[in-house]
Formats: sequence, C-alpha cells, structure tokens
Amino acid sequence: MKMTRITSLWISAVFGLMILGCGCGGGSKDGSSNEGTGGGTALKGRELPTEPGNSAEGDTIKIGMIASLNGEQQPWGVDSQKGGQLAVDEFNAAGGVNGKKVELIVEDTNSKPEQSKTATEKLVGEDKVLAVVGEVSSGNTLPAAKVCQEVGVPIVAVGATRIDVTQQGGAVFRACFTDDFQGAAMAKFAYEDLKLRNVAMLTDKKLPYSTGLSDVFRKAFESMGGKIVDEEFYESGNIDFKPQLSNIKSKNPDGLFCSGYFTEVGPIARQKEAVGLNVPMFGGDGWDSTQLLSSGGSGIIGGYFANHYHNSEKRPEVQEFVKNFQAKYGAPPATAMGALAYDATKIVLEALKRVKEYNSKELLTEIANTKGFHGVSGTFDIGPDGNAQKPILVLQVQKNGFVPVKQIPFFVFQK
Amino acid sequence: MLATLSFEGLAQQFIYGIQLGAIYALIALGYTMVYGVLKLINFAHGDVYMVGAYLAYYTCSVWLAGVAVEPHLMLVIMLLVSMCGCALLGLLIERIAYRPLRSAPRISVLITAIGVSLFIEYAGKLFFQTSPQPSIKESVNVFKDQIHLGRLEIAQSALIVLITTVVLMCLLWYFVTRTAMGRAMRAVSHDFNTAALMGISVDKVITITFLIGSALAGAGGMMQATSVGTPLSTFYGLMPGVKAFVAAVLGGIGNIPGAVTGAMIMAMAETAVKAFGYSNYTDAVAFIILIGILLLRPGGLFGAVTEKV
Repeated sequence: MKMTRITSLWISAVFGLMILGCGCGGGSKDGSSNEGTGGGTALKGRELPTEPGNSAEGDTIKIGMIASLNGEQQPWGVDSQKGGQLAVDEFNAAGGVNGKKVELIVEDTNSKPEQSKTATEKLVGEDKVLAVVGEVSSGNTLPAAKVCQEVGVPIVAVGATRIDVTQQGGAVFRACFTDDFQGAAMAKFAYEDLKLRNVAMLTDKKLPYSTGLSDVFRKAFESMGGKIVDEEFYESGNIDFKPQLSNIKSKNPDGLFCSGYFTEVGPIARQKEAVGLNVPMFGGDGWDSTQLLSSGGSGIIGGYFANHYHNSEKRPEVQEFVKNFQAKYGAPPATAMGALAYDATKIVLEALKRVKEYNSKELLTEIANTKGFHGVSGTFDIGPDGNAQKPILVLQVQKNGFVPVKQIPFFVFQK
Repeated sequence: MLATLSFEGLAQQFIYGIQLGAIYALIALGYTMVYGVLKLINFAHGDVYMVGAYLAYYTCSVWLAGVAVEPHLMLVIMLLVSMCGCALLGLLIERIAYRPLRSAPRISVLITAIGVSLFIEYAGKLFFQTSPQPSIKESVNVFKDQIHLGRLEIAQSALIVLITTVVLMCLLWYFVTRTAMGRAMRAVSHDFNTAALMGISVDKVITITFLIGSALAGAGGMMQATSVGTPLSTFYGLMPGVKAFVAAVLGGIGNIPGAVTGAMIMAMAETAVKAFGYSNYTDAVAFIILIGILLLRPGGLFGAVTEKV
C-alpha cells in the first residue's frame, strides 16, 4: 500500500518527538549551552558581588553542596558528596571552629543545569548557607555560579574546567585546573615527552569542553613548532568513527589528540585499531573513568590523559585521604571527583578558620586569600582569577588501570 | 573544506559505508516486513535492536564470562543468542501489544507502538545496567585486525559484518520466495482479507514476520555493538532505528529490496559526509533525505513499481 504524504509526514513528526523526548543527550560533563571557552583574560568580569550574602546564627555553620546524585553524572555526584562529607566530618572531629560545628547540606542537581539552579536557590535562600561547594560539570556549575554571584555567597566549583566558569564574578572559585592549562600542558607533554611533531585531533563538536580544549591544544602545540596535520569532528552519541579515523590515517600523524569524553574515546580507540591507525592517543580529564578500559579494549592501552591526581600517589595527603575514604565508605573513590570535592570543601573550611565574623562576605574574602593550600590534588593557591593554580598529573592507560607518569607544574600559556 | 582523498581512501570509505549500510539494512528489513503485512510502523523495532546488543553483551561478559570459548565460536554464539532472544521479544510485543488491537483504527496501533518503544526504553533501565562494557571480550579480538588487499587495508570487522549480513539476507530471500510460508507472507501483504479467506492463517504469518524481523534486528544489534565498542544504554537503538526507518521509507516501505537499497544509500550518504569532513551534518543528512523523499516521492524509490512483501 502506498503511504500517503500525510501519514508519512505524521510518522516522521512522531519520530522527531520521540528523539526530542528521550533526553538521550548523554552524560556530558559540560552539559550544553554557552559559547566556546570564553575570553582569555581571566580577571575580566570578576566584580565582587554587591549583596552581603548570609550570616551564621547559633552554633552551626551551614555549608551547601550541589551534586549530581542522580542522572548520567551520578558517579561524579556520589563521589562529590562522599568527599565533601568526609572533609566536614574531619573538621568537626577536630573540634570545628570556635566551638561551632559545620553542617553540610547536600542538594541533588539530577545532572541538569535547571535543577542545579533551583538547588542552589534553595541552599542560599532557605537554608542560608554561608558558601556553596559544587558542581562537577561546567554546564551545571554555570547557573549555580550566577545565583551565588547575585546573592553574594561564595561558590567553589569541584570539577568545572571550562574557562568562563570563574568569569561569572568574584564569588566564583574552583578547586580544579582550567582547560586553558590542561590543553597547553598536554601539548607540552606531547611535544617534549612523547616527541610528537605531527598530531591529528578528533574533537567532539557538541561539547564546548572538547572544542575549547582542542583550540588551546592546537595553539599551544603549534606555538612550540608542532604541526596539526588534521582535525576531524564527531558528536557525542555517535558510534561509528571509522570514516574520520580513516581520513586521519591517510595524513600519517604520529599521535592522536582526543579532547572528548571517555564515552566516545573508548570506541574511537577500538576503531582506531580496526582501521590500522597505530599511533598513541592522548587527551584531557574527560577520559577519567575506568569504563575507558573496557570500551577502548587494547586500542586505548598506552594512551595518556591529564588528570587531577591519582589514588596511588605517594604524597601523604593522598595516602591519608584514600585511607580515610576507604574506612568511611568501604571503597576508594571511583573518580577524581571525590578528592576534588574534598579539596573544594576544605578550601571553604580552612577559610572559615581565618574569618572573624561568620558571614558570606568575610568568607568570600578569605577563600580568595587561599595560599599554599595542602590539598589531595596538590598544594596550590587560589589565583586572582579564582582558579586553582595547580599541577597536572599525566596518567597512562594500562591494562589494569591508570598509572601516573608525569606531573606538569602550573604555568600560564599566553594564547 | 574537502578532505583530499586518495583512491585507497575512497575505497576504504566505501567499504565502511557498506558495513554501516548492512546494519541499517538488517533493521530496515524488520520495519518494512511488518509494514508489509500489518501496515503498521513498529516503533519498538529500534528497541529490539538495543535488546539484541545487550543480549550479546550478557552472553559474552556475564553468562559465558567464565567459560573459555574460541573467539569465533563465541561470536557465533552471541549472534544466535541475540537473534533468538530478539525473535522472542518480537513475538511477545506482537502478542501483548498489537494482536489485541488487530481491528482497532491504525492510529491506535501506531500510538501503542510508541508506547511499547518508550516502555522498553524506560523499563529496560530496571534490568539493563547503563553503559556496561561493550559486548565483546578482549579475547575476542577478531575485530581489531586488518586484511590487506594490495594497497587496500580493510578492517576485518567490516568483512565479518558484511558476510554475515549477506548470508542472513540470502536466507531471507530464500524464505520469502521459495517457501510456502514466504508465499503466504507475500499473499498477506498483497491483500490481508483475501489471504485470510483463502485459508492462510494470517495470525501465524504475522507472528513469523515479527519473529524474522526481530531476529534480523537482533543480529544487527549484536554486530554493531561488538564491532564499534560504544557503551550501551537503553536508548542505544533510537538513532539507528530512526535511520533504518528513513531507509525503509526511502526504499519504499513494505518493499524488501527497497529496504536494503535505502539502507545502503543512507549509509553511503552518511559516510560520505563524514569522509569529506562535514561530520556534524551526519544526522542532518538522514533527515534531509527523509524530507526530500516525502516531498518528491512519498511512496519511496521502489514504492509504486514492484510487488510488495
């Protein structure tokens, strides 16, 4: 039977609705929205908030946390909550501050920017928290940062690496490095340590994180004298990368930079092997998941990526953190976000020790004054741009997990 | 920017296009056969494909995880489990969701089909863990080597997928054109009521159609999941389902050779877009084809010409 035009249009409309309705955008660490990586000059737009924020009453100081306890980013959110709670518990066990105890109030963002906004509004409006810790993804952090900036409550982001997060205003800080630094650091690592000269890039067009990271990498790598022989694109959710990899292969690169997330990097590694492209792969902290090992198969072995720290590091901070985390929750943190959330929370708690009056405004000033902070993810200062100035740990993917190979100290790459 | 392609490059891209086309064709066949006999777009078909991928995963990584099986044999077992499991699922879907609505208006059945699709996607979350490792073990590494044909270097996975698909399609062709049940199926698609009056058990034909269509989708799901390595989710079948549906419409829905041709055209278009460096338009090209075909030739390429099945 011949399909009528009406019926067939109807059917395609239904299909369209189904695609829209399923919300299968995937768990992107950066959500979506907003343009690229934002400007390079970091101090721009960091005005101090005009509102005074909240003040503590009684013997309890309330700190808020937003985390993705549900949704695609749940592994990151759960680790965040555990890390933050651990920091608070240790702080209280050590006597708190000035006879006051800290209470951590955790709100779920459900891995969604809109819910991140309402969760933050609840924390600062109803719970009257002095400061907020979170989120992991830049996409979920941005709306929260805007809310905090408006009411004058400081916020310390856990894993949001996109450069424009801290440009929302003077109330916004982060405990992680930025994409500007990790892109440049990986370029340096590729050029100096891996001795690569002709690198191809594979970028996820759908993720601002990926496009931004690729941009910085390209600039940094070319400024050192390296050559980008090809850049191919895909979109998160794609599953077939052989055409792109086949193109890349014809350009004979000696390395492949993948700035996307592990969800696609794994399959890319597997298909890279299938098309016979035998060059090392490397990328950013979006690779951080053991899922990479299973989805990448043998193709991912020997790849390198930038990360915040590693459980196996010998530094006493790391060893103690992993030990305490394990004792409290029965297993070491599954992602780097446990440690980053611990650090982010601790930045707030350390600042609490230095304030004279327990209100958001003083706390904000003291967080900005963080110097020589001894965190699990390294010893660092909070810079005038609100970013943590800390080193990168390059990890190598090996058969049974990730192994640290090199630490790259903090530097500023002039774009 | 047009990527500069060598001859070898083009030939390789062509083969990857055919490989993708084979997967689309396996799904599109189910759409088109069910439409042929029931005049129903089985929206849940993409989800059957998803279940096929999961079954392959569970077979090799859970059920047979501790058993040492020769890699090629493992692939065959996975293929069979996926096909049988999906055939069963197709059967259940037809029995539970579509059969009670046999005489209901077509729009009710269509909406039921959407319901079934959403049901599988969301209820599936209860049983299927999101993003497990893909359905292949490291020991099964036949997918990672290349075959050299002169200067051509072809992924072995492409050949395995292609050969399996061709075999399955030959079997389907034989079934439809050379067996009594195949003849009955063609009769039903030609005229539902007359076929019933002629003593053909229409319900049986419909059951068999769902069985075969779903088994093919299961095979497609297994092969795609094992060769690309993408983590699975219950929405795994959504996009391939839509693409295959477009392919079926493109070829003329209800027409078996049309579905295969449509799938090849779709996959070629997608691969070409990627090969020439416009990969962010991959999905767009599918829908441009759909809109184009609906506007210019709603019956599809082979729609009005040949006999339908």
